[in-house]
Amino acid sequence: MFVLSGYEYFLGFFLICSLVPVLALTASKVVRPKTPGVESYTTYESGMEPIGGAWIQFNIRYYMFALVFVVFDVETVFLYPWAVAFHKLGLLAFIEALVFIAILTIALVYAWRKGALEWS
Amino acid sequence: MTLAEGTQLVSFGVLTLTTIVAALGVVLLENIVYSAFLLGGVFISIAGMYLLLNADFVAAAQILVYVGAVNVLILFAIMLVNKREPLAPLKNGWIRRGLTALVCFGLFALLGVVSISTPWSVLPEAPNVGDTALRLGQHFFSDFLLPFELASVLLLIAMIGAIVLARREFVTSSAVDGDDNLIFRLPERPREPIAPEPVESK
Repeated sequence: MFVLSGYEYFLGFFLICSLVPVLALTASKVVRPKTPGVESYTTYESGMEPIGGAWIQFNIRYYMFALVFVVFDVETVFLYPWAVAFHKLGLLAFIEALVFIAILTIALVYAWRKGALEWS
Repeated sequence: MTLAEGTQLVSFGVLTLTTIVAALGVVLLENIVYSAFLLGGVFISIAGMYLLLNADFVAAAQILVYVGAVNVLILFAIMLVNKREPLAPLKNGWIRRGLTALVCFGLFALLGVVSISTPWSVLPEAPNVGDTALRLGQHFFSDFLLPFELASVLLLIAMIGAIVLARREFVTSSAVDGDDNLIFRLPERPREPIAPEPVESK
């Protein structure tokens, strides 16, 4: 059988999404007035002047947020099959999932207490 | 060959090509930021492979976790240390390169031999099990319960380790007592909350 059956909507969205940047750029190219000048070649015409290089050293706080995000991202991925199969699983599975969430709540409390969730 | 099989074959070819080219770019490009973005391309191609194998939930998890989280983390790690410093070229660099090439080629040959000699149980076509997330959920809470619960413990350990490492609470005694310059060369250590600089409203 066709392996990719059931992906018709995905294909439709994929095609539309691929068309969006092409259409946006070509439409603005067609519509915009053609007045060449020095300002046309700046990064943001009639915007703020960029100062310094684009590659700067990031603040370590971003890294902390990303680390915490990874952990809870994986937790979400683990909990999704439980939610889908919830009506087929019994009470025991509910308790097991509560144990899973409880252990990760400890992680959340730890991160909270250590100030990993605060910006400054 | 039907149209469906042809589509599958072409998709597989495109995905394989993307994976290999992007992976080569990760290794060969000088600019480490481009390498990180290409790594995201590799992850997305692998997710496409999972889709071809009828593993839609794994594909979604691959994009969610690897592209959305792990790759972003790698990019942040690069941005944290991304200081352009003039590095002096190594003496006898070709010896190191030769040794590295030797080790890498040996590993590649070893893996190639293993992958060829292993008797894979090849299915004629990717099995269609219906709702994969449902099946995964049923397995998680029956025969894979212990790994499922251990995963939460692993995540807890990872979180605590990451916070301890990222906050740099433990500075080695040699860094405090010995070399005076070393402590200044350590990365930023946000122990005391620093008030953000006032942003002028434009």
